[in-house]
Amino acid sequence: MKTIEEQIWDYIDGTGDTAQQSATERKIASDSSYQKVYQDMLALQLQLEDIAIDEPSMSFSRNVMEQVKLEPAPVALKTKTDKRIVLGIAAFFILAILAILTYAITNSHLSSAKFAVNIDFSRYLTPTLIKTFVFADIILAMLYADSLFRRKRIS
Amino acid sequence: MEQENDLSLITRVLDGETAVYSDLVKRHQRFVFTLALRFTKNREDAEEVAQDCFVKAYRALGTFKQTSKFSTWLYSITYTSAMTALRKKKIVTQSLDDDENSFQLPNASTDGQSDSVEKKSAHVYLNRAIDSLSADDAAIITLFYKGEQSLEEIGTALYMETNTVKVKLHRARLKLKEKLQYLLKDEVKELI
Repeated sequence: MKTIEEQIWDYIDGTGDTAQQSATERKIASDSSYQKVYQDMLALQLQLEDIAIDEPSMSFSRNVMEQVKLEPAPVALKTKTDKRIVLGIAAFFILAILAILTYAITNSHLSSAKFAVNIDFSRYLTPTLIKTFVFADIILAMLYADSLFRRKRIS
Repeated sequence: MEQENDLSLITRVLDGETAVYSDLVKRHQRFVFTLALRFTKNREDAEEVAQDCFVKAYRALGTFKQTSKFSTWLYSITYTSAMTALRKKKIVTQSLDDDENSFQLPNASTDGQSDSVEKKSAHVYLNRAIDSLSADDAAIITLFYKGEQSLEEIGTALYMETNTVKVKLHRARLKLKEKLQYLLKDEVKELI
């Protein structure tokens, strides 16, 4: 429950919603106690709007600029990398990949490609290997979860 | 308009025209100094805090996101600088609630003073009443009435919730009203 003072300050500051503003306005118009408090606060409001601002010494800005001169010049925190360098690197890799692909295609004989895969996977996929693989996966998942929670806690 | 000017000045400083920073200093120095004075209650300390604030702002200018007013950002730096200075010097801020902290009233002239003298006297009373508030309350009053800051912006500058700022503003104004009534009563007594 707001006090009369709070209601009237909200009304003067314009911080209440439309319904509150019109309700307070009606009370001020009809209720003498609200009217008196409103007049008092309005007088204070006018005085506060007229507060004097203090002036620092004459040499203030000069002193600041003298200190500022000793500091490195500020720069906007944005990427300063030259885009031409990035584009150059990208072009090099694209050309390299294209060259390898072209060489591979021109030297391949697709008709003679016959693959004979004779690998016995059952010899390598032993239960021990699978257990080791799953164990390593669990460790990696735990490390990832740990780093994730740490980041969340910091943010 | 001023906001645009601030931003364009900042852009120029970041582009290498560092001397332009003095324009920003000149534009905001009075208010930053006044705000610092609300915390330190001492002109020398306030000037030191205000200078420190502008140097810190210069160093961090590249990190200013330009999504808020430059003044709001600057006032938050002023607040932290003032708090650091207060902690260092262990300055005890005084509250209106403390009876021992009642301030000395200026002698009221009784020879039919002019309007300007009355106005000046009212300003003196008001400024003294504000000075006797707690640092936070005095800063909120100053930022709200002279800093053109909304309750949200004051909250950002002083690291407070908007509702806290609103409640503190209400209370500070009530304290000021009581103090001014007390002062006026005393003034009338002196005139009699």
